[in-house]
Amino acid sequence: MIKRVLIANRGEIALRILRACRQLGIEAVVAYSEADRESRAVLVADEAICIGPADAKRSYLSAPAVISAALATGCDAIHPGYGFLSENASFAEAAAAHGLTFIGPSAEVLERFESKAEVRALLAKHGLPTIPGSDGVVPDEVAAAKAAAKIGYPVILKASAGGGGRGMRVAQSADELTQLFSLCTQEAQAAFGDGSLYLEKYLIDTHHVEVQVAVDKSGTALHFGERDCSVQRRHQKLVEESPSTALTPKVREEFLTRVAKAVGAAGYRNLGTLEFLVGADRKPYFIEINCRIQVEHPVTEMVTGVDLVALQIRLAAGELMPMTQAEVERRGHAIEFRLTAEDPVHEFRPQAGEITTFRSPSGPWVRFDSHLYAGYEVPPYYDSLLAKLIVWGNTREEAIARSRAALREVEIGGVETTRDFFLGLLETPSFLNGTATTGMLDAIGTADILAAAPKARA
Amino acid sequence: MAHDTERLGDLLDSLVPVLVERLHETGLGEIEIERDGATVRVRAEDLGAFVASAPAPTVARGGVPATPAAPTAADERRHPVRSTAVGFVKLAPDIHVGGKVANGSLVATVDVLGVAVEVRADHSGIVAKLRCASGDPVEYGQELFLLESVGEGKL
Repeated sequence: MIKRVLIANRGEIALRILRACRQLGIEAVVAYSEADRESRAVLVADEAICIGPADAKRSYLSAPAVISAALATGCDAIHPGYGFLSENASFAEAAAAHGLTFIGPSAEVLERFESKAEVRALLAKHGLPTIPGSDGVVPDEVAAAKAAAKIGYPVILKASAGGGGRGMRVAQSADELTQLFSLCTQEAQAAFGDGSLYLEKYLIDTHHVEVQVAVDKSGTALHFGERDCSVQRRHQKLVEESPSTALTPKVREEFLTRVAKAVGAAGYRNLGTLEFLVGADRKPYFIEINCRIQVEHPVTEMVTGVDLVALQIRLAAGELMPMTQAEVERRGHAIEFRLTAEDPVHEFRPQAGEITTFRSPSGPWVRFDSHLYAGYEVPPYYDSLLAKLIVWGNTREEAIARSRAALREVEIGGVETTRDFFLGLLETPSFLNGTATTGMLDAIGTADILAAAPKARA
Repeated sequence: MAHDTERLGDLLDSLVPVLVERLHETGLGEIEIERDGATVRVRAEDLGAFVASAPAPTVARGGVPATPAAPTAADERRHPVRSTAVGFVKLAPDIHVGGKVANGSLVATVDVLGVAVEVRADHSGIVAKLRCASGDPVEYGQELFLLESVGEGKL
């Protein structure tokens, strides 16, 4: 039983978790850095506690600060949100050692699913197809070149401890691979404290498809359908939708069932997402697992009607799965747009500063998750997500039409945002016909997408 | 409100003479104490005469002054000492109202999962008001006590 949760995150997800806690009748305390004193989650929370300065290393990324804050406020659980400490096994272990429930997989599970290379091997053993790649970590350039020759170019170098698209480089040839190897090792070391790399065949024209799963402590594993996150820029997701246009109905059901079975059998617990690449052959290849709630979880919530954050908390509290697979009904189509403080006209340059005007969209089947308000100061220290617009329709076409209408209602002044980029995307043929792949932005270019946006009223 | 007025009268009668005396002893510019949800502040005017701050001591619910007083020379001499970590605070033995503090001295520790994080004074002065007690949970940046700087000769 969880009575009082420390929310160890910021921005829209802190607000999202706060809402889930209130709905479940659980008390919540929002932990914040000095830079987030005026954030909406802090303002609307019944209780909040400052855990450190703006520098995330001394606040949101500091395990002692977060755990100490939980103890100081009498919490019995910590929700880490996404990013920061959300998938950190030693943090989960330290929290448990202090009698706190970590809302996520246990430290043992996080450890088992920590190394991407090992997880690939583990899930392959449980029946998930994986992309041809190196047999685990490649220790040096020679081993990398040998593995790449066997797989065939192009190959992608990935940080074993990486995530969020960072620490990845594509090599088209053996020469390029040699050049990139040490650079990639250094980047991985700097970003994740672990320089080990592995190799995969780089698939072209792929859809990024991921499966939302939940597993209770007894090993009962359910899936909640898939999300397609193919519209990306430099491996950062911009738009997510469910269902994916890349899967046929026949492939989909068999695939989803197989994923849920594999992840449960492999010993995964709590909420998670398995990411796949679907190439031209329409076959999903497993690439990695995310052991946390994800930014794009509302897409699944809109299609299934299941509150995933509430489910995550209940499973962490030790409850058994409150539903069966047959009770998870997927209906219609949902799309999410990540509105960020980035300037699409100038290489998506990050923005910071005061929000001068803020108008959120509404209307039937429109959900807008945001921590903004007029007068809020976007701090320069953290990621640039401002708001998530999630729109549902009976069909993909209906969801797109509603998305256009909702995006036009969005008004965020004071910083440049990606709103107009999305308005343009919703006029771009490859997105409209569902054939957009992860290489879309390289093929079309931001300028052309922006040019497709309907002109705003003068 | 009648009750509040009556209580205010009692507070003034019992506390003000003691506080005025304390001001003399310590050389502080101002002393503020909380009692039963009321705050009484006694301030030495710039010219050196000790009077109760006019027109009446600030009284507010929850110990927060209802209206912040305009900055005075005394306010400018006051320096909040803030927690450097989130955890449970332990004040140094000499941290009590009237206690003397040297610049750079260890004034408190904050227990963060068994590690004592130091809080050091960044001014010398005299403790004018405590904002916490040893054992209290404190957040990062929380005001632990107010330090009032005095002339070097007085320390």
